[in-house]
Amino acid sequence: MTIQAEFTRVIDLLQLPFMHRALMGSVLTGLMGGLMGSFTILRQLSFFSDALGESALLGIGIGVLLGLDPSWVILPFAALFALGVAYFLERTHLWTDALLNIVCSSSLAIGIILLSFRDDYKGGITHLLFGDILAVRTSDLVFSGLMLVACVIFIGLTLRSQILLTLHESMAIARGVSVSAQRTAFIVLLSLVVGISIKAIGVLLISAFVVIPACAARLLSRTFVQYILISAGLGALSAVIGMIISAFFDLPSGPSIVTAQLAIFLLSMLAPNRRRLVL
Amino acid sequence: MNDPVLVVKELTVDREAYVAVQNVSFTVPAGMDTAIVGPNGAGKSTLIQAILGILPRRSGEVFVLGQPLSPGGKLPPAVRQQIAYLPQNFLFDRRIPITVREFVGLGWDRLGLQLPWTGGRARRHAIQQALNQVDAWHLCQQPVSALSGGELKRVLLAYCLVRPRRLLVLDEAPAGLDVRSESEFYRLLHQLKKDQGWAILQVSHDLDMVRRSCDRVLCINRTLLCQGTPDHSLTPENLSLAYGPEFVRYRHSC
Repeated sequence: MTIQAEFTRVIDLLQLPFMHRALMGSVLTGLMGGLMGSFTILRQLSFFSDALGESALLGIGIGVLLGLDPSWVILPFAALFALGVAYFLERTHLWTDALLNIVCSSSLAIGIILLSFRDDYKGGITHLLFGDILAVRTSDLVFSGLMLVACVIFIGLTLRSQILLTLHESMAIARGVSVSAQRTAFIVLLSLVVGISIKAIGVLLISAFVVIPACAARLLSRTFVQYILISAGLGALSAVIGMIISAFFDLPSGPSIVTAQLAIFLLSMLAPNRRRLVL
Repeated sequence: MNDPVLVVKELTVDREAYVAVQNVSFTVPAGMDTAIVGPNGAGKSTLIQAILGILPRRSGEVFVLGQPLSPGGKLPPAVRQQIAYLPQNFLFDRRIPITVREFVGLGWDRLGLQLPWTGGRARRHAIQQALNQVDAWHLCQQPVSALSGGELKRVLLAYCLVRPRRLLVLDEAPAGLDVRSESEFYRLLHQLKKDQGWAILQVSHDLDMVRRSCDRVLCINRTLLCQGTPDHSLTPENLSLAYGPEFVRYRHSC
């Protein structure tokens, strides 16, 4: 087949409604991941977002066993789980990465055991691990859209408190920033973003949406505001590039987007002003 | 203006398993520079962090501008806006992308719910003025992570100056400045105190500076040992109580 014929095939594919939804869903997830990820990596919560992703499998397992629709169980479960883990990390004086590893692997293990009780889910575990962006429904897009609006409003209205809190906690408290309230709100919102994106991206790759665009943005930005905007922008850009590559070469969508994120990150490392920015 | 800016009554603060500050009472009047002196581990930083609500207190009361600090460390936002605090070591993650201009702007903001573009021209003007006051306007585009120790101190002071305040709390703020920058730092503090009536509460190890520049001294070693003017407080007897007799012998032999 010639390149032109291949190109026509991809254009035709992109015209299909399910591809529109997949593209919109991935762009929304990219924007949300980039926006929340900008603060997540600076607060060293990257591994926390990974643990949230993998814990979703536990949530789905509980939902399936109780006979509930997993899409409805996953959001409240993600929020409660995030608060529980945050409390656990604060109370236990051990290394955060070690504790998160316990949370991560045990929720994955228990989740898979729970799902093994239901025959109809045994074969679907790959879908849960890597997601299925092509199965995104209009209602999922509405939810993701609302969640993006919630993230923009939250970050927008508390931007300056969030920046000072990220920079120096004591100085933020001295200025009256309610650190525990801000932190809790951020963690709950992050967990909802992860929970809502699980269906499309899967439990294993969701943290890439939070971490990789933000790291690339860090290498490219000078001011904090630039950094947040570039992070969200790269999240969306990598989603579009990844979806087109996935359509072109008939590759799985989620992994294609993550590969696009990696390529953008590697290119950012070559940016000429990197030396000046990373000190 | 004659009401004290800060009133501390019988404040006791625990750190882990020990009592770091016990039963400390004092007031800080407007337009005065009050120094807290005492040896390492005397509870000086703990004291000011408890006053600001950063650390919880076991008992006692704190009033800032007449408003009580709640047991949870809360003060009304309008009062918080009148306080500026510089911690002992401004340790921050140098990978955080923030410019000097953005950082100083955070000192101007009210930090409640607000639109991200709030402030506009007034904010920009205040940032420029504050950075000019500390002779650091030329650094405004620089990342905070690229500043030298002295430049960082000046920028931190600009963060405090960017809005008129009533109380400035400094924890060994000028440490790390060279002689010229330090004298400039104190000249600026003196000006703020005289012209704008700022009350300054500062932890210091530099007893000579305290004698020269401060109006009042609190000698602390877990408890308040004495308070008053530098001449009254920094006597060999009081210093011996705070720092131990060896210290006084050393100072006399210098």
